[in-house]
Amino acid sequence: MIARLRSRPGAVALFGLAALTPLVVRDAYFLDSLVLILLWGALSAAWNVAGGYAGQVSIGHASFFGIGAYAAALMVTRFGQGPWLGMLAGVVLSLGAGFIIGFLSNRLKGPYFALSTIAFAQVLLIGVSRWRGFTAGGEGIPVPFRPGFATLGLGHVGWVYMALAAALLCYGVEVYLERSRIGYRLAGVREDEDAAEALGIPTRRLKVFAVALSAALTSVCGSLWAQYIGFVDPTYVFSVDLSVRFALNAIIGGMGTALGPYLGSILITSLETYLRATFSGVKTGFAGIYLIIYGTALIVVVRFAPGGLAGVASRLRARRAQA
Amino acid sequence: MRHRPSLVITAVVALTLALVAGGSHGQSLSGEYKIGVLEPLTGNLAVQGKLHLEGYEIMRDLINSRFGGVMGKKLVLAVGDGPDPTTVASEATRLATREGVKIITGTFSSRLCGAASEVAARHNVIYWESSCVDPRFNKRGLKHVYRTEIDASGFGWYNVEFIAKHLAPRLNLKPNQLKIAFLSEDSSYGQGVTESARQRAKQEFGMQELMLEYYNWTTLNDMTPTILKMKQLNPDVVHHIGFGNDAVLFWRQSKEQNFLFKALVHAGATGYGGGDFGKALGNDANGVFALLEPGPGFRLEALRPEGQQIEKAFREAVQKRTGTYPFGAHQLAGSGLWLLKLVLDRSKSDDPEKFNAAVMALDMPVGSMINGWGVKFSEVGQNANDRVQHYMLQWQNGQLVTVWPEEFTTLRAKWIPLGAWDQRK
Amino acid sequence: MDSARRLGPAQIDVLAQLAVATVLLGGIYALIAVGLTLIFGIMRVVNFAHGEFLMLGMYLAFWAFALYAVDPYVVVLVSIPVFFVVGLVAYVLVMRGVIQASHNVQIFTTVGLSVVLQNVALVAWSGDFRFVRPWHLSTVIRAGATIFNLTQVVAFLIAVALTIALVAFMKWTHAGRVMRATAQDRDAATLMGIDTDRVYRLTFAIGIAAVGAAGVLVAPLYSVYPTAGLQFVLISYVVVVLGGLGDMFGAMLGSFIVALVEVAGSYLFGTAWKEIFYFILFILVLVFRPVGLFGQRGAETLGV
Repeated sequence: MIARLRSRPGAVALFGLAALTPLVVRDAYFLDSLVLILLWGALSAAWNVAGGYAGQVSIGHASFFGIGAYAAALMVTRFGQGPWLGMLAGVVLSLGAGFIIGFLSNRLKGPYFALSTIAFAQVLLIGVSRWRGFTAGGEGIPVPFRPGFATLGLGHVGWVYMALAAALLCYGVEVYLERSRIGYRLAGVREDEDAAEALGIPTRRLKVFAVALSAALTSVCGSLWAQYIGFVDPTYVFSVDLSVRFALNAIIGGMGTALGPYLGSILITSLETYLRATFSGVKTGFAGIYLIIYGTALIVVVRFAPGGLAGVASRLRARRAQA
Repeated sequence: MRHRPSLVITAVVALTLALVAGGSHGQSLSGEYKIGVLEPLTGNLAVQGKLHLEGYEIMRDLINSRFGGVMGKKLVLAVGDGPDPTTVASEATRLATREGVKIITGTFSSRLCGAASEVAARHNVIYWESSCVDPRFNKRGLKHVYRTEIDASGFGWYNVEFIAKHLAPRLNLKPNQLKIAFLSEDSSYGQGVTESARQRAKQEFGMQELMLEYYNWTTLNDMTPTILKMKQLNPDVVHHIGFGNDAVLFWRQSKEQNFLFKALVHAGATGYGGGDFGKALGNDANGVFALLEPGPGFRLEALRPEGQQIEKAFREAVQKRTGTYPFGAHQLAGSGLWLLKLVLDRSKSDDPEKFNAAVMALDMPVGSMINGWGVKFSEVGQNANDRVQHYMLQWQNGQLVTVWPEEFTTLRAKWIPLGAWDQRK
Repeated sequence: MDSARRLGPAQIDVLAQLAVATVLLGGIYALIAVGLTLIFGIMRVVNFAHGEFLMLGMYLAFWAFALYAVDPYVVVLVSIPVFFVVGLVAYVLVMRGVIQASHNVQIFTTVGLSVVLQNVALVAWSGDFRFVRPWHLSTVIRAGATIFNLTQVVAFLIAVALTIALVAFMKWTHAGRVMRATAQDRDAATLMGIDTDRVYRLTFAIGIAAVGAAGVLVAPLYSVYPTAGLQFVLISYVVVVLGGLGDMFGAMLGSFIVALVEVAGSYLFGTAWKEIFYFILFILVLVFRPVGLFGQRGAETLGV
């Protein structure tokens, strides 16, 4: 186990630092930002399972996020149960949705698949917005805050550890995929699906498996998010912007690497937070500046460093080794 | 995958620097009193968000220059951008901790006020909402959460009041003979107002509801099918809550299809109630009713002296800065901030308990304040429907003017019923 | 509603008007989608910033009108060369590097471009809704009880003309043939001595010129604001997929099908459901006939 930890110094450093931070830092805003970094990182890692490891790039993962968020919120507000049960319900529903998307991934390639995932999220958004009787429609659901672990009513420190747990869960799944047979086969599907099929790998089943797994993990994070933020709004939780964000962090950090999504999340979330805090109040005319920088960074990174931050790291390492 | 530790550490250091460096303003200087303002300054809601912020800024300057500041100190605003629930919560945390404010105000939209107020409550910060209309806002059991504006049910209430008590008689119809069609954009706002209007129309006045339809304003490209349906149903009154483009589209296409009805009623500062609507349609906009804060024609004399003073001062200040009569957004923000000043001057402290006592002690009749409002907060921090006087405005020749209640205005509603499209001069 | 269903003269009028609404709305969608069809067809690139170029065209119409009182129908002539250049610049700066890259890179480059363009517009011109109100905005042509909005009719005619022009271009000019060859097999085209970079540059520039001009033409019909593109971009994709990869006439027909689903869906079930209908249609087509209703079998995997 120590050997395994030693083989991943980056992860140990990162998650270790995250675990230690609440003991040292009391500033609620810093902790809140840390929670978001971990949560977005976890969501990106969940996306990565389908996008990076299985090669199925979706821009509709907000579907699963929204399902998880609504499941938690509805379980609490409508059925009077706890959010953990809601999380479970969300996972079940997302597995179902994941199977559908997985099925689509078997029929569609590349951009077509991406488009179908967007359409799927839109259908959910519209359906939920209209189903006033059950989901309160466009008005969304305020999630009550009741202190305690069972009700996920935690303080900032508690949330850091909760988000860390989610991040570790998703990280663990990624690492498992890297090291296991399923993971190797998935890599085969990602790199060259026809060749993999020729080798007897059940590519179709594997793809569905990956997408469903990815969906379930995303849903878990969505349920957590609903309890953390306390308000579930359909136009947000199912939005394309969110879906893009999950993919973004993974791409910038390094798709197909376990730590990549977290690196990406650190960079993007801090950048965004910093820019927003700096520019919002200065002159409202500049309020969109951080998004311009954000978009440009995406283009630049994706174009010049497609392996993301992790790719840069590997290249630097290789160059060092050569020198 | 091996990752160079130095890269990771670099990233972490970058994070730390960014967050530590970002906006660490801490407490304000003595002689100043700082409050937090959260508005959507980016994203879909940015147009209204920025108008609200402008209203806050104008009122802040007015308070500082002519009304002695707040609690004797100069009022300072710490601004946060909240385009979506996650960001607004994050910014609320920043305002409460880094900026150290004890009071947060904002946030315009029902999508945002829920999350923002949750955060404020967790940090024991007073949350002073000036605009969002979600009826559940005050019913979540949160402490120190207040709202100066009425909620969606209040809007629906006023709209139906106008239709039943003012329009119906002028159309020579009894309210229960009125045929009404409901059309609305499907956001929290539209749904909230429409549902409460429907309820009152049916239950209290027995109006005949011919149609109810919701749509998503961001993807609406053509209203013709809906208009054709409505033409066949032949309503007297169309109750349409629009957000932006959809209002223009409906009105323009109704004219093209020669869809005739007797009145259109809307509520709020978006859609038909926004300046853009008049700019888009010019005199073609004539006749539309929108429930709003008072506009031109408003009789200052109908207010009490203290109300006249602040109303006049605010209008002048807005005119000076923007060149126009105040928009709904300005008025909501301005009134929210003015009320906050009244409370703070009375409580002389931002201690939540003392603040609460001062809020509950306020009791002013209609006409005492800006916008002709009165004040009376309920136990759960909601300003009363019947104190927050709302007015029906009508587009007349490029301007939204005040036409109801009649005692508050010199102008009168025209074109009841609307008549032919090209006859409304 | 029952009285509305019985077929009398009033109902026939309604049907006629609905048919007109379908055709004209289809024309607008076709106009907006034709550039995308070309780019998608030849370059196999999903350009998520397509709606933003449309938005830029709308702003061009607005500023020309607001500052210089120039009518949109005049501006459209200027917009074609302007957006041709914009397309060239965008290609050289952004798209060139990602043509050969994986789909993910393409997708996210254009998504990034979309975010940048939206927010540049927001910062430069604010989020206020703007309107272009030329004198002919409310002009309608009446044929009996049926009404045709002139601006929409013009947009429709131009959509048809543009589609025909592009089809002709692709079929009968040398450049068009070269583009089609490159689309069919990029490597073979290179081996034949075709400068694929030049082909893609031209394709992208033409595609952007088309959507920029579309923006100018639809500006009077809708509000102009930084996220106005979002209103149309998904529909454009549905149209392109329905029509079949790069098939211009297919896209045109696809536009009418989408418009039909929207108009009929809105009328019969209410506006709330119209998007669900065409998204479900979209997904069904993707699943059961991904080449589109009019494409050739197997084409969807060509070069993808």
